[in-house]
Amino acid sequence: MRREPRPKRSQYSMTEHTAATVSVAGTRRGRKYAGLFLVAIPVFLVAWMVIWPILTAIPRSLMQVGTDGSTSFSFANYQFFFSDRYSLNNLTVTLWTTMVCAALLLVICLPLALYLRFTSNRIAAFVQSLAIFPMFVPSIILSYAFIRVLGPNGTVDLLLNGVGLPRIRSPYLTPWGPVIGLVWDNIPLTVLILVSGLGAVSNATIEAARDVGARRLAILWHIILPRITNSILVAISFGVLGIFSSFTLPYVLGPAAPEMMGPFMQRTFRDLQNPPMAITQAVITFAFCIVFGLFYIRSVAKNRTP
Amino acid sequence: MSVLKISSVSKYFPGGTKAVDSFSLDVADGELVCLLGPSGSGKSTLLRMVGGFEDPSSGLITIDGEDITHLPPERRPTGMVFQSHALWTHMNVFDNLAFGLKLRRTGKSEIREKVEAVLDLVGLAGYGERKTHQLSGGQQQRVALARSLVLEPKILLLDEPFASLDQHLRERLREEVRDIQQRLKITTLFVTHGQDEALSMADRIVVMRDGRTEQIDRPDVVYRNPQTPFVAGFIGTMNLIDGEVAHGRFHRAGLSLDLPISDGPAILAMRPEALDLSLADQGQAVVHRVTDYGTHGLVDLDLPEAIRVKAMVDHPDRFSTGQSVNLAPRAVAAFRDGRQVFRS
Repeated sequence: MRREPRPKRSQYSMTEHTAATVSVAGTRRGRKYAGLFLVAIPVFLVAWMVIWPILTAIPRSLMQVGTDGSTSFSFANYQFFFSDRYSLNNLTVTLWTTMVCAALLLVICLPLALYLRFTSNRIAAFVQSLAIFPMFVPSIILSYAFIRVLGPNGTVDLLLNGVGLPRIRSPYLTPWGPVIGLVWDNIPLTVLILVSGLGAVSNATIEAARDVGARRLAILWHIILPRITNSILVAISFGVLGIFSSFTLPYVLGPAAPEMMGPFMQRTFRDLQNPPMAITQAVITFAFCIVFGLFYIRSVAKNRTP
Repeated sequence: MSVLKISSVSKYFPGGTKAVDSFSLDVADGELVCLLGPSGSGKSTLLRMVGGFEDPSSGLITIDGEDITHLPPERRPTGMVFQSHALWTHMNVFDNLAFGLKLRRTGKSEIREKVEAVLDLVGLAGYGERKTHQLSGGQQQRVALARSLVLEPKILLLDEPFASLDQHLRERLREEVRDIQQRLKITTLFVTHGQDEALSMADRIVVMRDGRTEQIDRPDVVYRNPQTPFVAGFIGTMNLIDGEVAHGRFHRAGLSLDLPISDGPAILAMRPEALDLSLADQGQAVVHRVTDYGTHGLVDLDLPEAIRVKAMVDHPDRFSTGQSVNLAPRAVAAFRDGRQVFRS
């Protein structure tokens, strides 16, 4: 019995169909690998530059080197830090500076961000430029400007002297020196994050609140603040993370003792040549910072869920 | 009794843009008036001035005789429903409705009573604890309406409330809103650029153009007896043909019709449904396209001088592209110098 030959056209179409399926699958796989490759670079950098140093620092801070060079597991570094008055004073002044800066940033930047969000005139554009300006000024230049203006015999002193008034008690080399510098330095980022958060509050929602009888304070408290809680948390987390581990401004503007953790770590490492203790201080600093880091991660995760 | 009176209100924006130009309107107690016009006609600006969100450059707005021209929104007896719903997404449905009452220091039990009553009114009973993002677009718009109604405003302002909804939902909601408005007998000012909405809901329609009133009338009058060529062209479909009248006849594009007006230029207006077609060997027009809508058909016709008109037919299957037809208008209107000068 003679078999009917298969129609050629059908064969071709089948082959084309199979080829198309293979090609689509190949493209998808290619895209998947390209995506993984793009993600891999930052993940690798974070793992190398952040995760690895942390993972190695924790065991090194728990290592005690004996006089004979032998190493043993010990909490001695931590015991020393938490029993040493000077170390605790440094931690306290770091926490104090961070909290004061965070509070001041909120008090200064929230009204500024509200003004920038709800005003659109030339003055607002000028204020925005002024608020963002510190972002482009390096910390060392800022420190120098601070000393020239608020330091002993600075511009303010000269002006006061010119009108026959007594000198100010300069915040330079007091705990308020780093506070002023760090607040000024962190205003741009905080304002940008808050303005971005306020962008999600539409004019219509504000108008709807006014329509039902809400005045300014009620609108701020009941409508605006609940909508930008996440942005406030993110801004404060960013500020706190930067301030807690800051170095230049506390080093140049702050007192010699007590000092913030940044200069303290540097001095322990360099001047006292005690790397294990400096690593212990770093781990403790990291432990405080991670709390605020978790706040930030929680806020981001919350924003991504409807 | 709540009567809204708008007297010679104008609004100029910085740069000299005239959004509303000497606009006047009286809205009677319990009346629903639609402000209808194309984008940029000033209808939303006018509504926002009544709501207190824009300050009039000149003129007077009163509610029950009380001057509210320069009062802030929070001190006006108006309630506004916004196009974008403008719900507070951090609050649930109940809190959205209760917020205004709390600001008025209403007692807790009264708040609950009022909120539940108004939720029932808009068909959302039992939805109080829902988050706003858990609601559909139509439900969100009902919440926005309920939020305004719960405060029992004297004047309800609706700013294109159905613009973001699909056609089916829009039709259902406009019937519901009309029912609620008639049940509560609340004076309402409604902004829309949808003529269907205006024709189906309004007691009166204000057709606006460039910040001015073109015509204020009942919907059927606006449709059947437009006073300006703009209204004729904006409301429904209208065939408008520029031509010349000589010795009582209109001439243009092969058409020659009796038009008992003085000689001179004129615009002839014919509704598609008032145009009879008959097949002819050497007719006045050629069928360009036939569209069958099920209930009726629409025939696009090419006249000489590149003029195209539309005619509505009961049996679209009788016509096909390329056929030659004669036109016989049953009713026409004519406009000259921007005003209606003849209507048959």
